Amino acid sequence: MVIVGGGIIGCSVAFELAKRGRRDVLVIEQGYLTSGATGRCGAGIRQQWGSVLNAALAVESTQIFENLEEHTGYEGDCGLNQGGYLLVAYTQKEWEQFQRNLDVQHSVGVDSYAVDLEGIKGIVPHINTDGMLGACFCAKDGHADPFHCTYAYARGAQRMGVDIETYTQVLGFEVDGGRISSVKTDKGNVGANVVLNCAGNRAAQMAALVGDELPIAPERHQILITEPVAHIMSPMVMSFHRHFYVQQTPHGSVIMGIGDPSEPVGCNVRSSWQFLEHCAWLVTQTLPAFRNLRVVRQWAGSYDMSPDRNPIISEAGGAEGFFTIAGFSGHGFMVAPRTAILVANHLTGLEDSLDIKRFSASRYKEGELLLEPSVV
Amino acid sequence: MKAVEVMVIGGGPAGLCAALSAASLGAKVLLAERDGTPGGQLVKQTHKFFGSEKQYAGDRGVHIAQMLLDKARVDSNIEIWTDSAVLSIYEDGVVTVEHEGKHAKVKPGRSIIATGAAEKFLSFPGNDLPGVYGAGAVQTLMNVSGVKPAERVLMVGAGNIGLIVSYQLAQAGVKVEAVIEGAARIGGYLVHASKIRRAGIPIMTRHTILEAFGEKQVEGAVIAQLDDNWLPVAGTERKIACDAICLAVGLSPLAELAWQAGCEMAYIKELSGHVPIVNEFLESTISGIYCAGDVSGIEEASAAMVEGRLAGISVAVSLGHGGGAAEAMQREAMGELGELRAGLMGRHIREGLAKMDSLAAEFGIRNSEFKTPHAAAELGIGCEVQDISISATSPASALFSSGVPANEDIAKICPSDERFAAGPVAVVECFQEIPCNPCVKACNRGAIAMPRDINDMPALNARLCNGCGRCIPLCPGLAIFVIDMDYGEDLALVKLPYEYVPIPKAGQLALGLDRCGRELGRYEVVRVMPGGKRNMTHTVALAVPKELAMEVRAVGVL
Repeated sequence: MVIVGGGIIGCSVAFELAKRGRRDVLVIEQGYLTSGATGRCGAGIRQQWGSVLNAALAVESTQIFENLEEHTGYEGDCGLNQGGYLLVAYTQKEWEQFQRNLDVQHSVGVDSYAVDLEGIKGIVPHINTDGMLGACFCAKDGHADPFHCTYAYARGAQRMGVDIETYTQVLGFEVDGGRISSVKTDKGNVGANVVLNCAGNRAAQMAALVGDELPIAPERHQILITEPVAHIMSPMVMSFHRHFYVQQTPHGSVIMGIGDPSEPVGCNVRSSWQFLEHCAWLVTQTLPAFRNLRVVRQWAGSYDMSPDRNPIISEAGGAEGFFTIAGFSGHGFMVAPRTAILVANHLTGLEDSLDIKRFSASRYKEGELLLEPSVV
Repeated sequence: MKAVEVMVIGGGPAGLCAALSAASLGAKVLLAERDGTPGGQLVKQTHKFFGSEKQYAGDRGVHIAQMLLDKARVDSNIEIWTDSAVLSIYEDGVVTVEHEGKHAKVKPGRSIIATGAAEKFLSFPGNDLPGVYGAGAVQTLMNVSGVKPAERVLMVGAGNIGLIVSYQLAQAGVKVEAVIEGAARIGGYLVHASKIRRAGIPIMTRHTILEAFGEKQVEGAVIAQLDDNWLPVAGTERKIACDAICLAVGLSPLAELAWQAGCEMAYIKELSGHVPIVNEFLESTISGIYCAGDVSGIEEASAAMVEGRLAGISVAVSLGHGGGAAEAMQREAMGELGELRAGLMGRHIREGLAKMDSLAAEFGIRNSEFKTPHAAAELGIGCEVQDISISATSPASALFSSGVPANEDIAKICPSDERFAAGPVAVVECFQEIPCNPCVKACNRGAIAMPRDINDMPALNARLCNGCGRCIPLCPGLAIFVIDMDYGEDLALVKLPYEYVPIPKAGQLALGLDRCGRELGRYEVVRVMPGGKRNMTHTVALAVPKELAMEVRAVGVL
């Protein structure tokens, strides 16, 4: 079994497979572990979703994050910090959607609730509530360290016998009699009857090598971090309407990012000064206390966007044994723990409470989209 | 958004020269300097520079900085932003600068990255104790801020920085306990080494630091000898008491901005690390972004200044300035660089640049019609494959490990008894092929010559020399002395360069020191000649017994 991609998805799937007895697994990563989207992500963990499937994945993933060190036998600290997510509503439509989302969330056990403007101030005293109608809050949301989380899974997998080859390029696949038979790399070929394509924004490219066309496209998202200052805000503050998210890390740095609806499709992960200025302006409208902070670094990562902004977990039509697990559209990190279990259960013939078929790429042909209203 | 023709990033020797040359051809230049004053490392370099007149050889770094800055400040084509750190070079060519508290955006036609280098560190237990410094930091404390950094110092590294900073520490009244060097040979110029040996500072090659110790700050270091495999020899450990440890273990190019801008980079060990790939005009793989000075390979400041000039001319030309004269200016700068790099000391640079050339060709930025001087042997100077091992003209190996010329070295350059009998004559104790020639220019009788180029060792024609001593304060290495054997019946007059305080006075007795800083006796100071405001090196004439005339090489004030 070969896993293409050493991000959080590839490593967590490798771990869960090994835990279920599949130890003949090789993870191939073109750079170092986390060198793709995982190591560049905003690291948020959120359970406040608008669809049952996402909310369910997120709830169970959060429970695993809460014990990830124990779950994987990791000696380090995965850096989970549950300061909550405060989702603020600026439009009536958004506010109404939030009410519906709460019902969805409560149905799968998310401990979320709505707050008015005074309630918002109670949670984030320095916030400027001008223009806001209200917000939703879940105290168990938060963030974790994507590097440590990935390494926790990777080291755990390796201890059980999984091999990881970094700095190795996958060049192609061989299909024999309709079934995947080997993987060609720049360091030689390796036989495999199952390939898991966890290549993130390059997943469509990988799938194309076996003739599978997948609607996954890379999209740049930028992010910045400031100097550390005194702690004034615990939750992640997020606005879908204004397309931003911002949080203060435990050591005091402020991390913020915005979604740019005009961002073109492409693998570019360079930074822009326009982002720097716009993001700083936009976020400090809502959080004026951060106005004079110095930015110490900016960077960008690539979302693997699917048409309905939800993951695709699918077997290729023309190459049996070739599975794609990608298209997480910017929230792969936070749902990785449970998604990995879902995939591993499926591949080892175990039952799962979630229906993996719902994530099949065939949903686009059948018009059964997994609509998710709540994405930045 | 501010539009400029040329943006120069960094106001050190390369950046200032880049700005001046681009502006001289008519380009409008904005120079951004992170510090409060441009000048880079020049501002703390109180020693005289090597090289040739064109690179201001014989002048002290701090004076060169002032002169370049004075020129730049009155040049109407140059705008200087100080306290202005350049933050980024973006894909659309916009350069952002933290300027006057704002996120300033500049759109230059061309950019020259001249960000210099940073000191390397060394790992050993206790290296985080207060009192462990980079040697350059200590130089800044002393020479810029006027702070005496310590009382007793251990210097780690005998490259030029380690040797020069040790000398300057001694000038500031700090006791340098030792200079230790892991390699078997002193890496810096031997004249610098000889200078500090005369000040009584030991140099221990094949030695390293094992640890720094101390309660709340450095109280001492444990050093040990190294074997051929660079491993400590058991039983050779010894403690050296000191309150500061200076690390002078090399520099790394400060190439982050080039990385960030997306320039193709390469690890070239001869150039001291990861460097942007540039062509012969110093243009990187990103059209319009040039790199000059240490950022594209660690060299002496003299080379940085010429690279800056070359980059400045090149950007001006590419913007349509300069006309027909520019190509000759480019060739002249390339020729100077070739000369600076031609000698034995420039060998690794030539090897590094040869790699750079082939990488530039690989990335399609090499211009075939221009031949660079370092493309081996094209200029026919010093490019023949020279082994670093000792050649016929090289000094005895003892000098390389000790910094003190051996008797056989002295014998080679010592004027004959007949010449001594004929009157005062210079003794030139310069035994290494370094790029430096102020002594040639100093002598208006033409008594000192370098037949091939500035990397030659000076050849003294003792018949032409009249012992006037003009060369004494002009030699950047303080390696020239004048001896008048006929001064008195038993006495010879030895004229010595002197750069310490207090200045001895005529009529006083002073200590005569030998090449290892040992006291030979107390002798009368006959004359003291100031070197002048700019030169600042005094010449002290000491009356010593004739038999010690070839032994006394330094003065110690009582």
